[in-house]
Amino acid sequence: MIEPLDTILSLVLLSILFSFGSSLLPGLIEVIAFQGIVVSIVPLFLAHDMVPAGIAFTLVTLLIRGIIIPLCIYLAIKKIAIRREVEPIIGFHASILAGLALIVVATFVSRKFDVPSISASALLLPTTITLLVAGMFILIARRNAIAMVLGYIMMENGIYLVGTTFSIRALHIVEFGILLDVLAAVMIMAIILQNINHTFDDVDTALLRTLKE
Amino acid sequence: MNLFFLSILIIVSGGVLSLCLLTRFTQMKMVAVGLIGSGCVIGLVDSLYKLFHPVSYMASFNYLNAFAISFETDGLSAFFLVPIFFVSLLAAIYSFHYMNNPGESLKTAVNYLFFGVLIASMAMVVTASNIITFLLSWELMSLSSFFLVIHNHGSPANRRAGYLYFVFSHVGAMFIFAAFGVMYSYTGSFDLITAATLPESLKITVFVLTFIGFGSKAGIFPLHVWLPHAHPAAPSHISAVMSGVMIKTGIYGILRMYMLLDLNTPLLGEIVVTAGMISGILGVVYALAQHDIKRLLAYSSVENIGIILIGMGIGMIGVSSGNEFMAVMGFAGALLHVMNHSIFKSLLFMGAGMVIHKTGTQAIDAMGGVLKKMKVTGFCFLIGSLAISGLPPFNGFVGEFFIYMGGFKGVGLDKTAFVLSHLAIISLAVIGGLAMACFTKVFGVVFQGEARSTYKHTLEEKEPAMLTSMIILAALCVVIGIFPGIFFHMALKGVSALGLGLGDVPMEPFLTMTGNITSSAFLFLCIFILIFALRTRLFKGKILAKAGTWGCGFTQPTPRMQYTGSSYGASIIDFFKPVAPLKENHPPVSGVFPKTTHYHSQIEDIAEVHMGNVIIRPVLWLFDKLRFIQHGDIHLYIGYILLTIIVLLFFV
Repeated sequence: MIEPLDTILSLVLLSILFSFGSSLLPGLIEVIAFQGIVVSIVPLFLAHDMVPAGIAFTLVTLLIRGIIIPLCIYLAIKKIAIRREVEPIIGFHASILAGLALIVVATFVSRKFDVPSISASALLLPTTITLLVAGMFILIARRNAIAMVLGYIMMENGIYLVGTTFSIRALHIVEFGILLDVLAAVMIMAIILQNINHTFDDVDTALLRTLKE
Repeated sequence: MNLFFLSILIIVSGGVLSLCLLTRFTQMKMVAVGLIGSGCVIGLVDSLYKLFHPVSYMASFNYLNAFAISFETDGLSAFFLVPIFFVSLLAAIYSFHYMNNPGESLKTAVNYLFFGVLIASMAMVVTASNIITFLLSWELMSLSSFFLVIHNHGSPANRRAGYLYFVFSHVGAMFIFAAFGVMYSYTGSFDLITAATLPESLKITVFVLTFIGFGSKAGIFPLHVWLPHAHPAAPSHISAVMSGVMIKTGIYGILRMYMLLDLNTPLLGEIVVTAGMISGILGVVYALAQHDIKRLLAYSSVENIGIILIGMGIGMIGVSSGNEFMAVMGFAGALLHVMNHSIFKSLLFMGAGMVIHKTGTQAIDAMGGVLKKMKVTGFCFLIGSLAISGLPPFNGFVGEFFIYMGGFKGVGLDKTAFVLSHLAIISLAVIGGLAMACFTKVFGVVFQGEARSTYKHTLEEKEPAMLTSMIILAALCVVIGIFPGIFFHMALKGVSALGLGLGDVPMEPFLTMTGNITSSAFLFLCIFILIFALRTRLFKGKILAKAGTWGCGFTQPTPRMQYTGSSYGASIIDFFKPVAPLKENHPPVSGVFPKTTHYHSQIEDIAEVHMGNVIIRPVLWLFDKLRFIQHGDIHLYIGYILLTIIVLLFFV
């Protein structure tokens, strides 16, 4: 029996592996956009009662997460017009291998948690954990600042999934809180990026080391 | 409780509104002073009412269902609320003319904002009834006073003082947190009242931890290091509030913990009396050696905290040895001294502020002759000095008198209590004598003689707001000194709230004592007036000539050839050399025609020096070794976060 929810979550997991393997920024942005879209439709397939307002919220989330934020970042790299490689610290093959290991560990670990809505899908919790850690992984393993922003967004996708998993009562409030966070964070990061680029003529975050006292 | 919250609301809104009126300097001050002042009046009336109607008032707010913000006023809280609101009221009035630079409009507004927050948080500290509320108010108080200290953040010395204060208040808070943590881990409840259920050994731990934590706020030696830096750095009305009232919240904390823990071992009294004697004597010795008038006043606060602690310690010894009279005398004397000190210390800080304002210097040895031009300030300062030296018929005498009485009761006890009571009495006497020397030095050098340098402004008193505050405080010094009955009654209300297991404290034996004080003060006043009248009468119709001091035949004296404060104190300081080393810088005079030379002396605070050697250096060394953690690579920083999360998730 194939549940639609399982399919969606598998897509999310796949998108993580793809994001680990993509070497150019535009490709990475596309993967993240796809992931955003997929993640935001998850609530539609969870067993909650869907009121019209709920659907509207989901659509807005999808719009922001899947289209607006990636578009903004895409335009930003066009504008700054800098190197388009993600500049890995950990190589792509090693990253993908790490991603696979991560999924395995996440699946193993998720059994230890006792979450009420886990019954919706066996994949939900592993995916969530994988997303969170994978976002962190990109933050750690990519030197390009924009790739790091994308890693952050991936993490936020994970947090969003956690929100949908845990909070059944105040679902949309949580969602919107997270969304606001993301928007604010992306804006702040854009400003910081501009400044880094302005100072170092590059967005390589390793250069920040020179600021050390 | 509603009136209490109303007053806090008004006080804080006064601070906030001042930010909205930045462009209109005078209106801003009027609004801020008006609102803060009226809030204080409401609070004062409310707390006086509560003090005389000793019922426990409670109020509680639930926030997010996680923890309650709750307040409770009993006699002890109400007793501390009285000086908090009263001194703040006068300080607010004083500030109206003290903050007189329209160019610093923003700074002034920020000052009022944090001033409002400080008053409100002090009031909340003494009324908080659970751990969360207490710590919240405590932190608010520390932070707002920190921002008040760095008012003149343009100068490096000020920033250094602010930093020192910040560190000390937070190290102190850390100890309080630790103590409350111990309490919470045992009781599992945020209510302070549950502290009584702790086992004996934990109680002592909690008391010692809170004693250190609150002691660093109160300025107990050797935790007083921040005081002589922060007080001179802050504006004078803020110093008045901080030294007069804020450090008393530390005393409140110690008293409250003593009351809550309900411990009946003689150890506590011994600790407190010993700490009190050390702070008292060393505080006044260091005060005597200071050159900066506000630093001197700050050290004198350390001394007075010492006196208060001696009183509390005598009270605790009285409780543990079952000596009812001694206990009541000790605690009531201590509480009365809390109130008295808040009055005369803020008076002295305000007077010092006035003088500094006009002369443009804080150095005692650069002033002189101020009394001739500033009669009101000088007279008020004189009253404050006499009161702080503990001389009758002023208020300082009354509090110390009751502590003495408590001490004399303890002489009849055995062993340790006997020794400590003797030592307490002796050290009180030593403190009194040295305080006398200290303040004759200040008054003699600053107010009398001739001006030793050219002053920034002409010496005149044209600030009615500043004068009013000082006159009210000076008048109160005299009133409490002559009619201590009602104020002693207030202190007794505070003591009975301590719940010493003595039941209702009878008033009669104390009433006769206060009555005796009143009659002897009257006698003293009568003699004084008589002598004064006699003098006027004898001098009537005679010619009074004024001339310079005889200079032993030297024909060209200058105002610089006057007795200085340093030389006045030198012989006494010399006696205390082991604990108060004097560093002198004085190239010797040699040859027939010696070149210009100079003399510079500075007293070293042994607490400061040793704290630097024993604690700060090793800590700095350790953290220097840990510097590799901060390597500047953002990716590894994120790695740290990930590691922390994983560790927290799986191992905690």
